[in-house]
Amino acid sequence: MTDDIRALTAELARDPNSLAFLRLAEALRLREQLDAAATVVLAGLERHPDLADAHDLYARILADAGSLDAAREAWERAFALDSRHVGTLKGLAYLAFCDGDLDGALDRLESALGVDPTDESVVQALQTVREEAERRLAEGRLRAGTDIFAGFEGAEHGLLLADRRGLVLGGALRSVAGGDVAEEVAAYVAGAAQEAERTARLLDLGDWSAIVVEGAAGHLHLSAPAPEALLLVKRDRAVPPGRVALLARRAAATARGWLEAQRG
Amino acid sequence: MRRARVIEPWLREPLERFLGETGARLALLMTPAGQVLAQYGFVRAVDVMAAAALGAGIAASTGELARMLEERSFRALNHQSPRHGIFLAQFDSPRGALLALVVYGPDSSIGLVQLFFEELVGDLAQAAPPASRDAPALAADFERDLNGSLATLFR
Amino acid sequence: MTAHLVRILDRVTRVRGVRGAMLVAAEDGLVIAESLMEGVRGNALAALAAALAGRLGRAAAATGVGSATFVHLEAARGALLLVPAGQGVLLVTITDAGVNLGLARLEMLRAVAEVA
Repeated sequence: MTDDIRALTAELARDPNSLAFLRLAEALRLREQLDAAATVVLAGLERHPDLADAHDLYARILADAGSLDAAREAWERAFALDSRHVGTLKGLAYLAFCDGDLDGALDRLESALGVDPTDESVVQALQTVREEAERRLAEGRLRAGTDIFAGFEGAEHGLLLADRRGLVLGGALRSVAGGDVAEEVAAYVAGAAQEAERTARLLDLGDWSAIVVEGAAGHLHLSAPAPEALLLVKRDRAVPPGRVALLARRAAATARGWLEAQRG
Repeated sequence: MRRARVIEPWLREPLERFLGETGARLALLMTPAGQVLAQYGFVRAVDVMAAAALGAGIAASTGELARMLEERSFRALNHQSPRHGIFLAQFDSPRGALLALVVYGPDSSIGLVQLFFEELVGDLAQAAPPASRDAPALAADFERDLNGSLATLFR
Repeated sequence: MTAHLVRILDRVTRVRGVRGAMLVAAEDGLVIAESLMEGVRGNALAALAAALAGRLGRAAAATGVGSATFVHLEAARGALLLVPAGQGVLLVTITDAGVNLGLARLEMLRAVAEVA
């Protein structure tokens, strides 16, 4: 038995009503002596049944032991006693995160931050949850978007369907470094399409059908498969422009089918 | 839709079309004396008055230079800085000579402004109602008209 | 100097289906030199081509394909071709629908090499 545990045990023996049981149970929990920690905190809860700190500590012991359902009950009891208890809010956020409820986790953590803006562990936890939320959003968007062009060569990084307002409808576009640039590029191509429409109209060229850009590091092919949509195909320089145009025509046909289906 | 403030309704459509095509950030239509007929983009009346006075002054100065050089007139002037361009041009309308002062940013160009300015002049000529015979302006009338105009331009 | 530039542009306009070629100041949208057939509005072509090049340049940069070396706007009754000529200058060509695109592109790239 270590000195701190010995000292806390002695203090508790002298005064069973003292709150030293909290520090003792926490010390035991940190040493992974979970059964002993639980025994101490439960004994303390018999004398202090309305102490949110104690319920919170018991919940953490249960969570460490893998009993998440029981931990949830303990944290809910703590929350009922004190809805601004930071430890409880963190605990409930942790459970929400485990359940995949990122919004719920963010709500709890933001409440905790509102109570104590200086708590670094809350700040760190918030960052973790937000990063996970962004990762899942990007993954979800990729999964949903690439489904339109499933089976097409380069569907996951070089085929983008956008509406005329510059919003992404589907597909995916990644930069050379691998970053998701779909939203940014959708906005730019909408502007380019407006400019192309004006240019063709004022120069009496008729309706525009495609814009091809040969770049230093790749080729772009922009077309309008439907009045409300724009399709951008991006390939690296090794792919000849004629082949990019062929791919764009096939992708445009697929996009038209998908758009038709959305119109119901 | 870029909503211009105009003294007379017939100015609105041609001016707003010009603003939409050029992406201009500020615009004034005024008489060579500096009386403002329409504005877009200005927030404060004092800025409109200052810009109109300066624009009319610049146009008058270049008119004098043109006279010295025995030129009929300089029709347009353009100043370019890294963030803005200023275009000042005099043109004939059914209501007499007018001045246009246009400020544009890097998302536009002098080429676009000049291109659509020609269309603006044509559109204004078509849109203007038949001229009415106005009484000569007295000083008191001018100040009342100016205050009334400013109220309209900033409604 | 202008005569020399017009001679360079004539190489492009000799391609069947090309209705005009010009050198344009890309930032201003103003004509530097032109060789245009009757009916082609030079100032409009210059201003609009420069504006289009600007928009497409921003889109190309965002996608990571780098700066544009050739742009082709295909339309029902013709095409607009753009090649950067360096130092903020654009070579702009307007064509009929039936133009030999490959040949026009080649002549434009050769012309740009002479302008530089």
